[in-house]
Amino acid sequence: MKRSLSFLLFFALSTTACVGEPGDGSGVGLQDAFCGPAMARVDSFMATFAGQEPVGERYGGTVVLGSLGDVSGMGPGDAISVEAAQHQQFLNFMTLIEFDENLEPAPYLATSWEISEDQTELTFHLRGDVYWHDGERTTAQDVAFTYLTVINPESEYANPGYFQAYLPGEEGVEVVDPLTVKFHFNPHADILETWRNLSILPHHLLGDVPTAELARHPFGGVCPVGNGPFRFSSRSPGDSWTWEANPAFPEALGGRPYLDRYVYRVIPSHTTLMAELLAGGVDVYIQMLPNHAVMAREEPSLRVPTFPYPSIFFVAWNSRVPELADARVRRALTLGINRPQLIEGIQRGEAILLNSGIPPVHWAYDPTLEDSLRYDPDQARTLLDTAGWVDRDGDGFRENGDGAPLQIDLVYNQNQERQQVAEVMRVQLQDIGVDLRPRVLERMTYSGVITSVEREFDGALVTFETGFRIDDRDLFHSEVRDGFYAFSGTVDPELDRYLDTLQLIPDWEEALPVWQAYQLRLLEVQPYTYLYSALRRNGVNRRLQGVAMDTRGDLASIRHWWTDPQSRRTP
Amino acid sequence: MLSFALRRMLAAVPLILGVATLVFIALSLVPGDPALIYLRPGVSPEVLERIRETMGLDDPLGIRYGKWLWAFLHGDFGYSHFYQMPVRARVLAALPNTLLLASGALFLSFLIGVLVGVLQAVKRGSLLDSVLSGVTLFFYSIPSFWLALMLILIFSLGIWGGPFSFPVSGSTSPGAALLSPWDQLTDRLHHLVLPTLTLTLILTGGVARYVRTSMLEVIQQDYIRTARAKGLPESKVILKHGLRNGLIPVVTLFGVYFPFLLSGAVLIEVVFAWPGMGRLMLEAIHSRDYPVVLAGTFLFGVMVVLGNLLADLLYGVVDPRIRERRG
Repeated sequence: MKRSLSFLLFFALSTTACVGEPGDGSGVGLQDAFCGPAMARVDSFMATFAGQEPVGERYGGTVVLGSLGDVSGMGPGDAISVEAAQHQQFLNFMTLIEFDENLEPAPYLATSWEISEDQTELTFHLRGDVYWHDGERTTAQDVAFTYLTVINPESEYANPGYFQAYLPGEEGVEVVDPLTVKFHFNPHADILETWRNLSILPHHLLGDVPTAELARHPFGGVCPVGNGPFRFSSRSPGDSWTWEANPAFPEALGGRPYLDRYVYRVIPSHTTLMAELLAGGVDVYIQMLPNHAVMAREEPSLRVPTFPYPSIFFVAWNSRVPELADARVRRALTLGINRPQLIEGIQRGEAILLNSGIPPVHWAYDPTLEDSLRYDPDQARTLLDTAGWVDRDGDGFRENGDGAPLQIDLVYNQNQERQQVAEVMRVQLQDIGVDLRPRVLERMTYSGVITSVEREFDGALVTFETGFRIDDRDLFHSEVRDGFYAFSGTVDPELDRYLDTLQLIPDWEEALPVWQAYQLRLLEVQPYTYLYSALRRNGVNRRLQGVAMDTRGDLASIRHWWTDPQSRRTP
Repeated sequence: MLSFALRRMLAAVPLILGVATLVFIALSLVPGDPALIYLRPGVSPEVLERIRETMGLDDPLGIRYGKWLWAFLHGDFGYSHFYQMPVRARVLAALPNTLLLASGALFLSFLIGVLVGVLQAVKRGSLLDSVLSGVTLFFYSIPSFWLALMLILIFSLGIWGGPFSFPVSGSTSPGAALLSPWDQLTDRLHHLVLPTLTLTLILTGGVARYVRTSMLEVIQQDYIRTARAKGLPESKVILKHGLRNGLIPVVTLFGVYFPFLLSGAVLIEVVFAWPGMGRLMLEAIHSRDYPVVLAGTFLFGVMVVLGNLLADLLYGVVDPRIRERRG
């Protein structure tokens, strides 16, 4: 037995010993070659601030945030995930601008900016006191490098479409001086929004890395050297990320954050997350379940910031199938679903009814549309009658003139909320003679079904996090009817016109009437039944102060978080 | 015995490769595109295509298999797109946690299970036997995740009110790296208590019932009667003559439990947010992180072989006849 155990030990040790061999093809060698020196430089720069810790009762302590999924990394390709994007934007890196509480652009890495009168140039003036965590100064060169990286699809940055209106390649950016950078583009909407999202990358560390190799470079997943208020400290994959306060963060932006340390913990079960919040093991529980929010509100030690979030939940109707080709049928389906009841029953009233893909937090959201297509089964029945769908054989379900039943297959991926919504919809639509058949699919299979050219579904329950920049061309424009995101496949020249125009109007006042007309047209065409935009609920321990969670993100105010010294978690 | 072990290991190589190949083929037949995990508006189809390309999904199945096998045989398990790191680094981060949890639970469950089983066999038909049967059957039958949640409720959320309180989840406290080595060790042990207790309670029931049955058979044998007739004390009869023979079938159970613990403690790892192999495999399957799934399958295959090998070697330890036959 002793020999067998020795063999097992030998196996474990020999496997471990293989890690880090240069050129082994798995990237481990590169990891050691890049990350070792990079993190050593960070430690050395941070050490120069030893003994200069600010004094004040707010400084100190560790905050733990718990969430279901891991943050994949800090590379440009990782910004595809909402959690990763938040940590890039608010912790590890800096963006050129940030949004204040009123969602107005405010200086951040850039102290000021100008947009030329003809809306074709945007010039940013950068702060001179922002340093990468290894001591190098952040300059216009870094901004230009970031831009040129993300517009290259090889970087796997999720949204190169943000820069569609920019002049191609290097013509789009100009480094005027070390602290001034200028962009050139054709007039388009949401010029500044892009720069709130995009975290700036260090040119001195990544400039020599071929763009195609960036997605797999250890910088993103193992040693992300940033310039934000917190510096990366360590990562235990699948378990936690740890950041520490950056003492070199500019005084003008608040200086070193109050917290010593911030830990992101992956806890893959809602029940365990709730137990950890109650036990004090985590200070913040992100995206609580509705029933947990009810429980947390009754706990004196907890509070539940609840706020609108740019996400939308809808049913995409596949207009390519004969049953759903007629807009009257699609409108009837919307009228037949009691959406306020869904909000009350499933989201405990904590959601906002939608009639378009513009979430309530967006400036173009039209609250007057909230009463449109309200639950009205009688009107739904009339519309179906007019469209030729009547119950011809008395079985309670409608058929067309050829006797084909109005049977609709609704696909969704496994998720408690969607399962409940699908079941309620089935019962409600039965009441107007529609035979809705919910079909649950595994997540990736579901994604494959709704995006494939065959589109083997009639309806699909979909949730999207939209952000603040709305561009529905991929969803509804007839030019991309076979495209990835054209779930519905409706063709409407009027919608096309609005979609083409909206992205070209930089001025909000000028754009607002077009947005309103677009939303009215969506009500007519009804490619989707928009259900609601759920409020985001986070559980927060009351010992954590200065937390302003809002539409901008859970971590938008993390620079100002501090903990009560009496109940502070150390280290 | 060493040559026997080496022969067994070599014979297992084609078996493990065969299993990994089957898993590779099965994964490639599963519907759905792994790149679609990144599906959301604004993510352009070109980017998704690029992701597919870097995942190596645009090659035909045969070429993909060839590339995978070649890299695999050279010790390169590939790259995890989901975790943004080499698979080997990701697996090596999870494996020690699982080994720690599994070995502790396995040791305790066999230790307690054997003791309880022997006690029940010796006291067959008594009140103690009935109570222990009820208790072991209870723990054997209840779902592991429910037991885990109950233990959290009792020992972490203060319902028990006793002097000890254990962490709800995780393998270490945040900031544990800053503690002294002694405090780090106690912190780690503190986190191990509830998951180990859950696994131990679940497994002990099975072991105890197995040992009880086996011992009942043994103590009715003629040689036990002979040992008693020789005037040996009862403790010596049971421990020396009974237990040694009663443990032979239990060794088979050990061989079965060993790999099961690495792959089958998924629910425990999820409830306690224990960053081990079970959770890693679950997440990898959900996110279609194929290189991780394949590496995990390979590892589980190795563990099955090792478990069986350990069982075979243990047969030799408890049964001299087998040892002599091999020798």
